[in-house]
Amino acid sequence: MSNNVVKKWMLQRITAVILLPLLIWFLSIFVGLVQKDYQVVIAFFKNDINFVLSVILLTLVFLHMKIGMGEIFEDYIQNSKYKSVANFIISVFATVLPLATVVSLILIKFN
Amino acid sequence: MNELQKNRPLSPHLQVYKWQLSSLLSITHRLTSIINTAGITLICFWIISLYLGENCYKYFSMLTSSFIGKFILIGFTWSFSYHLLNGVRHLVWDMGYGYEIRTANLSGILVLVSSFLLTIGLWILA
Repeated sequence: MSNNVVKKWMLQRITAVILLPLLIWFLSIFVGLVQKDYQVVIAFFKNDINFVLSVILLTLVFLHMKIGMGEIFEDYIQNSKYKSVANFIISVFATVLPLATVVSLILIKFN
Repeated sequence: MNELQKNRPLSPHLQVYKWQLSSLLSITHRLTSIINTAGITLICFWIISLYLGENCYKYFSMLTSSFIGKFILIGFTWSFSYHLLNGVRHLVWDMGYGYEIRTANLSGILVLVSSFLLTIGLWILA
């Protein structure tokens, strides 16, 4: 139990450190990219480096989010049953959404 | 578990603490984490819409090019900027530095000001 908590604590920090440069990179491009035409955005994600970095970013962001949300539930949800339900919903969300997005990225890249 | 244990109070009681810079920035870190979740969700939908084709993507472009869309995007940019910078502050604390009240207040103000500067910088560069 305590070991698991320590692991989560470490993982939250490790993902944070890796996400720091990744997010600055992504945000600096996204803000401009989101205003561009379809073909320009497609070309961006077809690029090898952009593709790989985007997949890493998505994976780590949702891992970081899941742990963080778990911490919030720990602080604010008193009933342990509700807490488990909340954690389960976040787990499903943090798996399905990045998975669908990464699959989309793969299909865009190799289309 | 008896009734007393079941009803034990939980930790951050926002209503009972005296508001000060440190607590305000701390709760903002959590609020921005929730806003960022909404933000990254939108980014995911944006990428999925990209896969679904040009017609689907056009709806997103209509949103992002509108005044309200821009306003929302700038809001998300600030939220990410704040969480990122205050996250650095947390990492420094984790290494054992910056706990003195003066230092913590100063780093807090620095984070707050920098979050706006980073937002402006990102949009000027775009």
